Amino acid sequence: MSKRQKARVTRGIQYAVLLVVVLLLALVADWPAIIDGFFNLEVAAAQFPDVITVALLNTALYTALGFALGLGLALVLALMRLSSVGPYRWISGAYIEFFRGLPALLVFLAVGIGVPTAFEVVLDRNVSIMIALGLVGSAYMAETIRAGIKAVPKGQIEAARSLGMSPTRTMITVVIPQAFRIILPPLTNELILLTKDSSLAFLLGSTLDQQELAQFGRQALTDFKSMTPVLVVGLCYLIITIPLSVLQQRLERRFGGAVPGGQGGGA
Amino acid sequence: MARRTTTRAVALIPALALATAVAGCGGGGGEAQGVPIVNEGTLTTCTHLPYEPFQFRDGREIVGFDVDLGKAIARDLGVEQQIIDTPFETIQSGQDLNAGKCDMAAAGMTINEVREENFDFSDPYFDATQALLVPKGSGIAGFEQLRGKRLGIQNATTGAEYAEANAKPAGVELVGFEDLGLLLEALKTQQIDAVINDNGVLYDYVKRNPELEVSTEFDTGEQYGIGVRTGNTQMREFINQSLQKLKESGEYDKLYQKWFDKLPDEN
Repeated sequence: MSKRQKARVTRGIQYAVLLVVVLLLALVADWPAIIDGFFNLEVAAAQFPDVITVALLNTALYTALGFALGLGLALVLALMRLSSVGPYRWISGAYIEFFRGLPALLVFLAVGIGVPTAFEVVLDRNVSIMIALGLVGSAYMAETIRAGIKAVPKGQIEAARSLGMSPTRTMITVVIPQAFRIILPPLTNELILLTKDSSLAFLLGSTLDQQELAQFGRQALTDFKSMTPVLVVGLCYLIITIPLSVLQQRLERRFGGAVPGGQGGGA
Repeated sequence: MARRTTTRAVALIPALALATAVAGCGGGGGEAQGVPIVNEGTLTTCTHLPYEPFQFRDGREIVGFDVDLGKAIARDLGVEQQIIDTPFETIQSGQDLNAGKCDMAAAGMTINEVREENFDFSDPYFDATQALLVPKGSGIAGFEQLRGKRLGIQNATTGAEYAEANAKPAGVELVGFEDLGLLLEALKTQQIDAVINDNGVLYDYVKRNPELEVSTEFDTGEQYGIGVRTGNTQMREFINQSLQKLKESGEYDKLYQKWFDKLPDEN
């Protein structure tokens, strides 16, 4: 058998295996139960408009709050990590390892219950969510931003310094803007992760108006004794995350690899 | 000078954002009829959904026996009731009350010693006992028939405790679930062989699911109480007075009839 034939046979076998698996799944599955349990149109219709006007909006709001705080914190952490002052580096290093290593669920419990207990303050629910998601997100984003800053060519810094800019000014007006161009794709990725982590907001307690997608779907699962609401909220998550993924791929194609001004010239 | 301001401004952005958010939502608190409340103009009640017929979602509303009692108490206070759905673990550990998330916790919750340590209970307002829910005709009437099988429990409940003490030694495998909805769903999909929970909710569920039956009750002689933060005597006494008034006026019996289709003494 020639190499080409061999390749064709192997590919044929792969397709056949795939087909058999799909057929088996289709035969084994309980179709009436699936249609009734997952695609009950009446139940699906009952989810609207609240699944959009309440749940989806809340998910987007919580994610945006967490991302905003996380990005701000991450920038500070990244600069601390790159600082020449030792304690700054240690603090930010410890912070990053700490929050990157903990499940987000524990962070939510710590913020929602630990903080009010320890400081005798009552935090607004949105603020608690913002802090919890921000803490988790910032640990990941700090590392991304640091990598981005390091990826800006040395020549850029040298050029700025030789123009008489101070190190701080160089950082703010020359390095950070270029770093952000480089790290846009991984930041989008972090936004997707935070969208999903926002489902942990249920740990902080919620009124019906404060429910986000996952909690909304879980409740409706019990109300309607059907998986359909779960499918509906799943699709809602995809409405948010798939466009973000597409955006990420676009950005990657545009900025990925090619470092702006790599030759020491203008961007 | 200008340069330094820019630097500082950048470093301050996250801090400022946080401070504004906290300030914007802080404050709150007040009192009604001399009783301190956490949110001005509302009686905030923590509960754990779904726990039909005590508290569950009906369309855009949370309804149920406990909900109606809370409404009556709020009415006596001259405020509206607002309900917050929160994990049962943080209710029974007293953390939701300590964190100032709510004024009282009404969650079909049995008065017991462990919980008494975490917060203060009102006078008892409901008699309950543990019961066993099984598929009809399964022949499971006690823990002996469940040996080697799987019994579903709801995490952090008195039923779970009872099963730990009595079913586990009898060789029954315990499977914990986060809420009643997931627990009952698991029984329906045969992931577990039986469910232990309070009689009130199980009898209610059987009404709508004739393929299941309550095969036995374990005489645990439990009583439900409403929780308030430790030392919040004013709130506790107000709730007791309000409950007393409800019983004397016959409104309590009416509510009981509404949710359980019978009168309290017929239990």
